[in-house]
Amino acid sequence: MNRPWVEKYRPQTLDEVVGQEHILQRLKQYVNEESMPNLMFTGPAGVGKTTTAIALAKAMLGEYWKQNFLELNASDARGIDTVRKDIKNFCRLKAVGAPFRIIFLDEVDNMTKDAQHALRREMEMYTKTSSFVLSCNYSSKIIDPIQSRCAIFRFTPIKGHHVIQRLEKIAKTENIQYTAGALESIVYFAEGDLRRAVNILQSTASMGAEITEEHVHDVVSKAKPKDVRRIVNMALDGDFMGSRDLLREVMVVQGTSGEDMITQVYQEVSKMAMDDLIGSDEYINLVEHIGEYDFRIREGANPRIQLESLLTKFLPKEKAD
Amino acid sequence: MLWTEKYRPQKLDDVLGNKKAIEEIEKWVESWEHGEPKKCILLIGPPGTGKTTLAHLIAVFFSDHIELNASDKRSFDIITNTIGEASASTSLFGKGKKLIILDEVDGLHGNEDRGGIRAINNIIKKGHHPMIMMANDPYSKRITSLKSKCQVITLRKVHTNSIVALLKRICVKEGIQFEEHVLRTLGKRSNGDLRSAINDLQVIAQGKNSITSKDLEIISEKDNINNIFDSVRTVLKSKNPKRIKNALRLESEPGFILEQITENIPREYEKPEEIEKAYDMVAEADMYLGRAFHTRHYGYWKYTYDLMGVGVALAKDETYKKFSRYASSTFYSKLSRNRGKRDLRDRVATKMGEKMHTSRKVAIEQFPYFEIMFEPEDLARDLADFFELDDAEVKQFRKRKIKKRKTKKVSKSKTKVNRTNSSPTKVSRKTKLSSKVTKKVDKNDFPEDSKSGNEKGNNKDHSSKSSSKDNGGSGKSEMKNKGDSGKSESKDNGKQVSLFSFK
Repeated sequence: MNRPWVEKYRPQTLDEVVGQEHILQRLKQYVNEESMPNLMFTGPAGVGKTTTAIALAKAMLGEYWKQNFLELNASDARGIDTVRKDIKNFCRLKAVGAPFRIIFLDEVDNMTKDAQHALRREMEMYTKTSSFVLSCNYSSKIIDPIQSRCAIFRFTPIKGHHVIQRLEKIAKTENIQYTAGALESIVYFAEGDLRRAVNILQSTASMGAEITEEHVHDVVSKAKPKDVRRIVNMALDGDFMGSRDLLREVMVVQGTSGEDMITQVYQEVSKMAMDDLIGSDEYINLVEHIGEYDFRIREGANPRIQLESLLTKFLPKEKAD
Repeated sequence: MLWTEKYRPQKLDDVLGNKKAIEEIEKWVESWEHGEPKKCILLIGPPGTGKTTLAHLIAVFFSDHIELNASDKRSFDIITNTIGEASASTSLFGKGKKLIILDEVDGLHGNEDRGGIRAINNIIKKGHHPMIMMANDPYSKRITSLKSKCQVITLRKVHTNSIVALLKRICVKEGIQFEEHVLRTLGKRSNGDLRSAINDLQVIAQGKNSITSKDLEIISEKDNINNIFDSVRTVLKSKNPKRIKNALRLESEPGFILEQITENIPREYEKPEEIEKAYDMVAEADMYLGRAFHTRHYGYWKYTYDLMGVGVALAKDETYKKFSRYASSTFYSKLSRNRGKRDLRDRVATKMGEKMHTSRKVAIEQFPYFEIMFEPEDLARDLADFFELDDAEVKQFRKRKIKKRKTKKVSKSKTKVNRTNSSPTKVSRKTKLSSKVTKKVDKNDFPEDSKSGNEKGNNKDHSSKSSSKDNGGSGKSEMKNKGDSGKSESKDNGKQVSLFSFK
């Protein structure tokens, strides 16, 4: 049976994890010593934080790892109370067949400060029986008391040659044909995110033909947030209401994330600059704004309001005067 | 008909409360009737205390009346002309002069009504005309110069008991049965504003025989929405920081207010520069909302309020002298209109997140790739199985239903499937069996598949089509059952906790 390749080829042991050598070395030491402090994995999406956590649990806890490992997602579990209850229920029992229990809490940066403080107390309470592995995209969003209780590991975007290695291996096992250029363009679009790279590979393969640069481009453009060009063009034509409405449609209905949208806006704008559709002054002016809004969105502002505000930057101004 | 009109007092004696003020006004009218000019009256009092009613009641003692209120423009020229005309055309038959009524003088706007106060002062100086002015805010700067020159009459809020008594009378006249405490709540809630009390009563009582406390629920909501749009209007029309700050004293969440102001910026402002500036302000206001949320330091909200209120207000060059139709944010209507779609999306994302160790958000980010992967039938079927998506959930990724699994050993597998279908209680066993069937088929397929090339796709398509024709009936029921089993499983997973792999 076919499975998503991101799962099928997810590294099962620490040795299989690619691209984070410095981190893996330390983790293997912990395994040898059969003890570990609380850990925090920080880094962008798709660089192996979850994979490493699971692989570590397997190595550390051995045969009965499943019983002694709790995986929770901080952003989906509704509220800190759910998280605390689950942690409490899990930590109350002593580890059986393993030195201790491991709680993996994903996306901790989506928790409010209050929730994080509560979490800190849980971490203290159960230090004897359990170890925590926290993961987040931005460690700056984690309160200091938690950071100081954890050994922090910074995961870096996965380097191009590692991504290619991985893709080649998958392609060989799956018995699909590919060109070198195709893999390189996947690397380009994935931006160090191995999950995205593998998904691009599998979607391209699912189209049935050989994996070529062209097909990869097809997939990527199909997978791009739709209508961004139209949104930008409407704003450039001065139709703010139309542009704003379409933006809302895309974000609310399709659920495209603010990060994806703004990346796409940036790409559209730079393409327009390359094609001489906008002047270089206007280009750099827009980039300044895009950068600022990007930062704000990642800092926790409402992505839709920020993007709507960004759209006003595209409105033609001279004519109105 | 509006009950506020229907039950508007017809005589001065019918006006509730403020007896002293009314006596004062009566005296004033008498002097004019005797041909003795008096100072103009400035009636000050909160909304719904009867200022306009009083003005109109005394108008009958004069030959005629002219009224200018906030909805008219009241610049120097307009006021001078209108009133000049009035004075020139003194009625031939009347007892004398025309009464000039100027409503909401504290609402005279700096830009729009330029010189309005000056024009009024001129008229006061001449002193030929009986004039009555009304204002809400006794401390408004705009009326300080007027106060010294007028006879100021202050109206107080109407006492709750008087309001309740009137509401009772109305109920009796309208033939509505009422519970005493409902009227009392209405009275209290109106905070001395008789007009709003009557309006509220009409909202909950019109067309009914009786009212109960349950009916009160309707108006509190409606009240809120009214208020928010009044506030939005103030933000977009005014430039006065004090008024704007006052207007933003709402019970709604700042995020909701921000959303409504944002929605209406381009409905009011026309110049792109203004829209941009105003949006800069709401975007910044929004940042403080985010900061307040993440740090739990709600002191940041004050910046949100100032930026989205005063900041947005000051983004306009001049107040637009137009009527703008405001709207509730389309964001909310889009949210509710697409609830089904979003529920589906979240449900699918939850299931996928559990299998792929990600949050819903990360799962949704991968959706576009899965849309592509769900195109070929075989892969779609396998992925749907893997994520345990039912038919409805598959729609997230493809419009067409996934075609039934192709079965080469038609007769055998058919009987198997049918047998299991006949015993719906053994759901889990059935799925096991059917997956066995698929394994067999997959094995058969594999060597063919790995040959690669376009041939593969065509072959698959073709064969699956023919198979679906072969046994369409049983296929459907199989899918249905699968859907059921999927649902029951999703309930278990509803806790949002994915204890890693309990497979």
